[in-house]
Amino acid sequence: MNADALADLYRRILENPEVAADSDFFAVGGDSLLATRVLSAIARTSGVELQFDDLLDAPTPGALAKKIASLA
Amino acid sequence: MSVVVVGAGLAGLTAATELTAHGFEVTVLEARDRVGGRTHGIEVLPGSWVDAGAAYLGGRHTALTGLMAGLGLKTTPTTVGGGSRFALRGGEETRSGRFPPLSAVALGEMFDALEELTGGVRADAPWSSEDAGRLDRRTAAEWAAETLRHPDARLFFPLFLGEMMAADPADVSVLHMAFYLRSGGGIRYLNAFEGGAQEYRIDGGAHRLCGLLAAGLGGRVRLDEPVRAIHQDDDGVEVVTPAATVRARAVVVAVPPLLADAIDFRPGLPVARSGGRTAPGCAVKVHLVYPSPAWREQGLSGWSVSAEGPLLSTVDDSPADGAAGVLTGFVTGREAHRFAALPAGEQRAAAFAQAERLFPGLSQPLAFHVTDWVHEEYSRGCYAALLGPGDWLLLGPNLSTPHRRVHWAGTETSTEFFGLMEGAVRSGHRAAAEIKEAHDWRSIHV
Repeated sequence: MNADALADLYRRILENPEVAADSDFFAVGGDSLLATRVLSAIARTSGVELQFDDLLDAPTPGALAKKIASLA
Repeated sequence: MSVVVVGAGLAGLTAATELTAHGFEVTVLEARDRVGGRTHGIEVLPGSWVDAGAAYLGGRHTALTGLMAGLGLKTTPTTVGGGSRFALRGGEETRSGRFPPLSAVALGEMFDALEELTGGVRADAPWSSEDAGRLDRRTAAEWAAETLRHPDARLFFPLFLGEMMAADPADVSVLHMAFYLRSGGGIRYLNAFEGGAQEYRIDGGAHRLCGLLAAGLGGRVRLDEPVRAIHQDDDGVEVVTPAATVRARAVVVAVPPLLADAIDFRPGLPVARSGGRTAPGCAVKVHLVYPSPAWREQGLSGWSVSAEGPLLSTVDDSPADGAAGVLTGFVTGREAHRFAALPAGEQRAAAFAQAERLFPGLSQPLAFHVTDWVHEEYSRGCYAALLGPGDWLLLGPNLSTPHRRVHWAGTETSTEFFGLMEGAVRSGHRAAAEIKEAHDWRSIHV
């Protein structure tokens, strides 16, 4: 998943249209429960199973896309 | 024009206060020797109170915050920094945040499924939801067994439901679970501390709400008067307690459904207030009082989640002035029944031992309090009644429909924030508004 697709995913889960490629998930309305829903969607779409700490380490769509690419 | 309010909990006292302000002659009959219902304070140290019952609120709880503002009550934030302790598979472990050491993807799939369910129920009338019949027939346990594949989701689901609604999954219908989560603002809002339904506590304790409301009502509130019967005739209503019979033009029954059904109504109710599977909310709250919140010195927040009881979760409820360390333990669901059945000494030993495992190095507690809401005679459960299979379709359409001169309040009669203090306050306002509308003209004559 690239950064654009992840930003779309954030917008859908967070119900917040104001998400950009450099938006920190936890600063635009994300919390641990919503984080799990982002991670389950990533697993469904890309087959990559991330842990909660991965999203803490890479909370923006841009950084998360790189992490997924490195693991895929 | 006279009104009797049955029950001096938050719903009843809200209605009584509003009706009194409107010029009605109000009598509140309370079964216990105290007001407050499912809000109750324990003074753990002189001047330091903890909530033995309902405790939390969030920014969306506007009726409650409005009521608090009028009474001069303030909120206090629940945020406590530090690491969490988890005992989900055998041993204890520490994590930096609140996220459990479980597969995030598995939990995400569980929350996706719950989100789909909650999105499909009508918040204002769950019994009219598109799939209501099917959802009302199955238990949440059956749903979980079919839906949740990953062992981490199966492990976490009952803990989540215990935390959210003090329910064992076998006790509630899928419809009730989905409705409850939706009614409270959705799974994220209901689950969250910061930015959610647990963002604040009430400064000085939630019991102050009813204490102040009752003080405002003065002698209108009569304690130790359990209502046994409510008989209506063409002219009014007789409300019967062991001590007296009080006549009124209208009545607000503001007690939980299982207790309302113990009242002898004449004429009888067209539909009971509880159904065949309605059960008490399964919550026992435990307070361990230590000389100080020693866990903070180890960088811990006091937050823990355990798969084994009795303390399925703990939270730091220490007074702000640091006079003591208070660890509050939640014993919910099936575990609440098991724990409640133990002798006091065994309860104490089990709670102390678990707290010691979770937070090593704790000294002996100075005090220990157990509040068993399941067997509390005049609550019959907490947070709220649990509706089992068949109950919503039977009870829903009459949830707040007056029975002639008898009006209904209580958090279980509110489709908004059902089970929470907010629901109780909203139900009190609704019942007061009904009576004002239905009976106001009579005040000219009576």
